[in-house]
Amino acid sequence: MKKAILYLNQFFGQIGGEDKADFEPTLEDKPVGSAGIFNGIAKNVKIEQTLICGDNFMASHTDEAIAQCLKLLEGRKFDIFIAGPAFNAGRYGNACGQICKAVQEKFKVPAITSMNEENPGVEMFKREIYIFQGGNRATAIKQDMAAMAAFADKIASGAPLLPAAMEGYFPRGIRHEVFLEDLGMEPVMACDRAVEMLLLKLKGDGYLTELPIPKQDLVPIAPAVQDIRKIKIALVTSGGIVPKDNPDRIESASATKWGKYSIAGLDKLTAPEFKTIHAGYDPEQADKNPNVVEPLDAIRALQKEGRLGEVDDYFYTTVGTGTTQGEAARMGREIAAELKDRGVEAVILTAT
Amino acid sequence: MKLEIGKFFVKKITFGPKTEYADGVLSIDKDAALAKVMEDEHITAAELHIVNPGDLVRLVPVKDAYEMRCRVAGAKGIYPGVTSPLESAAHGRIHALKDASLLVVGKHWGSFQDGILDMGGPFQRNTIYGAMRNLVLIADTDEEFERHEQQKTNHALRWAGFRLSEYIGECLRDLKPEELESWELDALNRRSADVQKLPSVVYVLQPQTQMEVPGFNTLVYGWNANHMLPTYMHPNEILGGAVVSGSFMPCSSKISTFEHCNNPTIKSLLKAHGKTLNFLGVIMSNLNVVMEQKVRMAVMVAQMASSLGADGAIVAEEGYGNPDVDYIQVLVELEKVGVKTVGISNECTGRDGKSQPLVALDAAATALISTGNVSQMYTLQPMPLVLGELEALARDGLSGGWEGCVKADGSAVLENNAMFCSDHPSGFSVKRCFDF
Amino acid sequence: MAKEIERSGLPITIMCNLTNIAKTVGSNRIVPTFSVPYPLGNPQASPEEEWAMRKHRVEVAVDALQTPITEQTVFAVKK
Repeated sequence: MKKAILYLNQFFGQIGGEDKADFEPTLEDKPVGSAGIFNGIAKNVKIEQTLICGDNFMASHTDEAIAQCLKLLEGRKFDIFIAGPAFNAGRYGNACGQICKAVQEKFKVPAITSMNEENPGVEMFKREIYIFQGGNRATAIKQDMAAMAAFADKIASGAPLLPAAMEGYFPRGIRHEVFLEDLGMEPVMACDRAVEMLLLKLKGDGYLTELPIPKQDLVPIAPAVQDIRKIKIALVTSGGIVPKDNPDRIESASATKWGKYSIAGLDKLTAPEFKTIHAGYDPEQADKNPNVVEPLDAIRALQKEGRLGEVDDYFYTTVGTGTTQGEAARMGREIAAELKDRGVEAVILTAT
Repeated sequence: MKLEIGKFFVKKITFGPKTEYADGVLSIDKDAALAKVMEDEHITAAELHIVNPGDLVRLVPVKDAYEMRCRVAGAKGIYPGVTSPLESAAHGRIHALKDASLLVVGKHWGSFQDGILDMGGPFQRNTIYGAMRNLVLIADTDEEFERHEQQKTNHALRWAGFRLSEYIGECLRDLKPEELESWELDALNRRSADVQKLPSVVYVLQPQTQMEVPGFNTLVYGWNANHMLPTYMHPNEILGGAVVSGSFMPCSSKISTFEHCNNPTIKSLLKAHGKTLNFLGVIMSNLNVVMEQKVRMAVMVAQMASSLGADGAIVAEEGYGNPDVDYIQVLVELEKVGVKTVGISNECTGRDGKSQPLVALDAAATALISTGNVSQMYTLQPMPLVLGELEALARDGLSGGWEGCVKADGSAVLENNAMFCSDHPSGFSVKRCFDF
Repeated sequence: MAKEIERSGLPITIMCNLTNIAKTVGSNRIVPTFSVPYPLGNPQASPEEEWAMRKHRVEVAVDALQTPITEQTVFAVKK
């Protein structure tokens, strides 16, 4: 039997109403309140302890509240963390999200909560934790708790987990391939799914795209440089230009590594000392003259003309084909940290 | 434009004194078949094997798959402009072996576009060839110039596949098919009112054509489709062998020559023609390197679809990453001119599943079919028999493989990207991505 | 990758051919290059023409770093 800990606010934790919303965290060594619903359903996991904290305390002293909660949980053996359900209660949703995220990170156990789709906590935390689609009000407590219990039970049993829509939680921004037959669905070939979807679309009828277009994630525009001649810039490329022996063994597709290589004193990148290892484009021209991908020669010319100031002694490189966004983002953060360490203030990145 | 395909359902493949087919049994004269392969002096070693569904056999590096067929009426051969005289592929009669294919596998050396294929075990279902009886050609060549290149044209092996698939198919020439399918479309302006009132649909195919150097791209009647602007084709031309697969596509995205000749999306549209839709035909497009080329292609496809009177279009992309730009651009341009679209492609969401599924996106792409995740990680247990060379997966830059991904015990970790044709953007895919 | 560098506060110019991808992934300063396999090369042109093209586009990229913008911007280059 696996163990779970349940998080409740002051009200559902039976401490009191709004007047007790500043209640500081406490860990009860027993199932409290709706834990009974959970324990009545789950066969492989049982709630044995209940963590209770006032919504206001969590909202206005978040760091302190989280720290206290984590301290209370230290040394406790548990496999799954449950919070809520929080319905459409904004502060409670925030609290469930905050604590689930923190507990999951610290104790490496899956964290499950439940909120109504209108609860702002959904947008804030759905990428980090399992948030089940819950009711609008506390009258839904039984069904919301039952949904979490069934899912926790499934995790505890080790059974394969189904896609978000089938399990009933909000998608976490994770997409994996699945054979239709493994979901008990008719294994309809893509061609027939396409024809059917097109006929529905032409009729104006309801169809469900298999690949919803995600919302664009824009980054704040970094302010322009005042005078480029007075700062240090760096050159970065995803075109796979490396020294000829590829010393860091950067992969030629689906890269997980990046490298930095000295260009100090070089007027240009010469072949064959530099070449490309990028598998996503025809390497002929880049191998002949690496400057067509990483234009060091043009950069040096501008420097000589006094139009550019300092250029970092290294250029930074990886391969941008088949490279996942997660990997690209990680490498971007690592390169950014390195650039800042080296006093770089602006970047020119060439991509192929 | 009527194309008949006579079907012969293979229940068993065996080697025998004569290449012949009778009562579901395909018998192959090994010496004669190998002689056909060795006609090309660049082939230095060749052997033939037979694999069946469920066999605990792993094939790697698989270069291409072919339907074994012959043309008994119409043009002179099965790959016009490639290994056969250049004639229209759209009409006449083809005799073809069904539930079977020819797979060509490198004896040692692999390349970016080659894949891995299990005939049994948990990954048998990952490609349609796992459910077929297959003749397997394992061969090596003297193409030293590309021996250690990640990008190989694989010319000798791919052409051996063309010759061998036709040689075997020839045994069907004088036989009576067990089943006959017949595909025929009236000219666009001669269709009955009943058909005309149905929604009109085109199929837009974007085969992989992004290599600038000759020898790698999908061929249309033998023509490098990189050097092509979008063109209008009769669906029978594709079923009749006018399009053959190239040697540059990441492998799970590959549309094999077998799949071009059996394109299931074309067949679904032909079957639906006159019942639920009016199939106008195929706009053969391509995939490009430069933004300007991509936009030019997309506006030309949209114009063609619009002028043909299309209400809707199904667009299929062979590849992922950079070509997603062409794919999305075509969907956007079609929607702009009022043609409603459905796209078919795989996704690349990363090993953690958290990456943007296509590199280019647009809100106009409201109806997309997903055929798999390029970067899904799989662990393959050792197989009792490997045909080809497993190390190629790790050593030779196969898409989805990497240095160290093959273990000493014969197991391997890989990305789906390396599984031969497993995302089947041609339309065979029975998997898709879901949100988790 | 570029987005993470910009998120750290460093202005960054992306030089790429597929400006649609750069826009989709949220880059802000974008300078179009000549092609994918040779972003700043052109095997069809004379060496002088190729050099002029490369230098011009790098100049535009440098200028872009000094140009205040309020939305995703693809900077114009000479053909």
